[in-house]
Amino acid sequence: MGAIGTEARPAQAMAPPPDWVLVVEDLGKRFDTPDGAVTAVDGVSFGVRKGEFLSVIGPSGCGKTTVFNIVGGLEPGYQGRVRIGGEEVRGPHKSIGMVFQEESTFPWRTVLENVSFPLEVAGVARAERHQRARRFISLVGLAGFENRYPSELSGGMRQRVAIARTLAFEPTILLMDEPFAALDEQTRLILGDKVLQIQQELAQTTLLITHNITEAVQLSDRIVVMTFRPGRVKRIVEIDLPRPRTSEIVGSEAFGRYVAQVWNDLREEATRGMAESEIGALSRRP
Amino acid sequence: MPAARDLSGVAGAPSGSGRVAAIRIAIILVVVALWEAASASGWFYRDVIPSLLTVGRALAVLAVNRDFYWHLVVSLMEVGQALAIGGGLGIAIGLALGGSRFLSRAFERYLYYLGPTPKIIFFPVMIMWFGVGPASKVALGALSCFFPIALSVAAGMRQIDPVLIRVGRSFHASPMQMAAKIHLPAMREPILNGVRLGFGVAIIGTLLAETKLSNAGIGYLIMQAYAVFDMPRMYAMLIVLFALAIAANELVGRYAGVHAVSGS
Repeated sequence: MGAIGTEARPAQAMAPPPDWVLVVEDLGKRFDTPDGAVTAVDGVSFGVRKGEFLSVIGPSGCGKTTVFNIVGGLEPGYQGRVRIGGEEVRGPHKSIGMVFQEESTFPWRTVLENVSFPLEVAGVARAERHQRARRFISLVGLAGFENRYPSELSGGMRQRVAIARTLAFEPTILLMDEPFAALDEQTRLILGDKVLQIQQELAQTTLLITHNITEAVQLSDRIVVMTFRPGRVKRIVEIDLPRPRTSEIVGSEAFGRYVAQVWNDLREEATRGMAESEIGALSRRP
Repeated sequence: MPAARDLSGVAGAPSGSGRVAAIRIAIILVVVALWEAASASGWFYRDVIPSLLTVGRALAVLAVNRDFYWHLVVSLMEVGQALAIGGGLGIAIGLALGGSRFLSRAFERYLYYLGPTPKIIFFPVMIMWFGVGPASKVALGALSCFFPIALSVAAGMRQIDPVLIRVGRSFHASPMQMAAKIHLPAMREPILNGVRLGFGVAIIGTLLAETKLSNAGIGYLIMQAYAVFDMPRMYAMLIVLFALAIAANELVGRYAGVHAVSGS
């Protein structure tokens, strides 16, 4: 049980530990809305170790997706720094591969052409990119579906295509924003297994943004718990469960304890978030 | 229970489409029968509704008439040029409007105002600018098809799922790669739908202009047949036009991967 601990922010003067491939320092982001400026994210700092699976969890409206977009380089105009391998990064970076929350496969491309896309953009020759893409297609368990179009697949399969496509980019860090949000619970658990297996095979450093506690505990080495608006780091929880894991772990007692712990931290934030959005809805009433 | 209903639904699908085909054929048969009945009744002034047999004979006469083909080619060339000019400009302007919020806000409203205006009112101006020959018909056809194409391309560009753009950016696609591999394929359907709409109004604009003032083209022939009250000949030419329009529409529709009825 002693695994829980709050981690101090990495002091800016201090060099981050050498095994941290991704360092997020003091991120801040404000949005201008019709109701005035809203601070979405404030002073968020954490690091991701090589080969680690780190989840960022928080209630809706805690700025998780903002963190995702900033780290992925798709959100301009923020405070703080994102460093990859010690080098500060602005804009999309070749070390980071993003998997989006939304349906993001190209409907006009087959599975094979979808997964080949990043290689095609990088100028890899056709035969080679298809060969490399096939490897990732079978890794996500879609061998045999290479020539299907996304419309012929289920939502879970499409999201696996999106994951395979991002893996084909061979990123140092796999960055995922609630990739299973649109899926049902069973598909989500099974896909979680798939992700665990991939992470095992590729030793893929992964940063997962999620609001699902079970998913976070099932997959992560550490969980960054965020507060409701403005999004700050509330606590970083070490998940000291044995690996390799499968979804069977959700039945274990230790698993239940971690879920309870993370929920304990989140409950307060989620309640506050809910109350604020209710007040907001009331005040906006004509 | 729901499974059973699903099964019956699947089993019912082919017979459902069979029923649709049967109704479509029935409609044609009913129209033909009504037409023949009206023609045989003698209630109408001479030849306003000629027997389909007469129309068929006129069609056969047209089919071996070299002049007719020459006029047909004139009309097709005019429509083709109108579509190339108006469509090309429409796609270019549509891309600019769809890609820039500023341009769209500044200019698009005018396109919406001018779009539904009957373009034939500009025909006198076109005659003064381009003369009575084919050029003024091409100009009117181009003017007609420019608006629907520009507007549907602009709308299509805005409808592109923003996450697909972010996917492209996250994989470091260059602006050229974004255009070729994401924007264009994502817009294929709206562009082809716009072209189909544009094709229709290009035909309307061009032929309408031909019927007003010209010395060549199918529109001119139709008016000539009307002037001498050769109704079977006139109807024969209308049938040829129908057939051409349907064929072209099917062609564009098949290329767009959408069925002709579902679009627009």
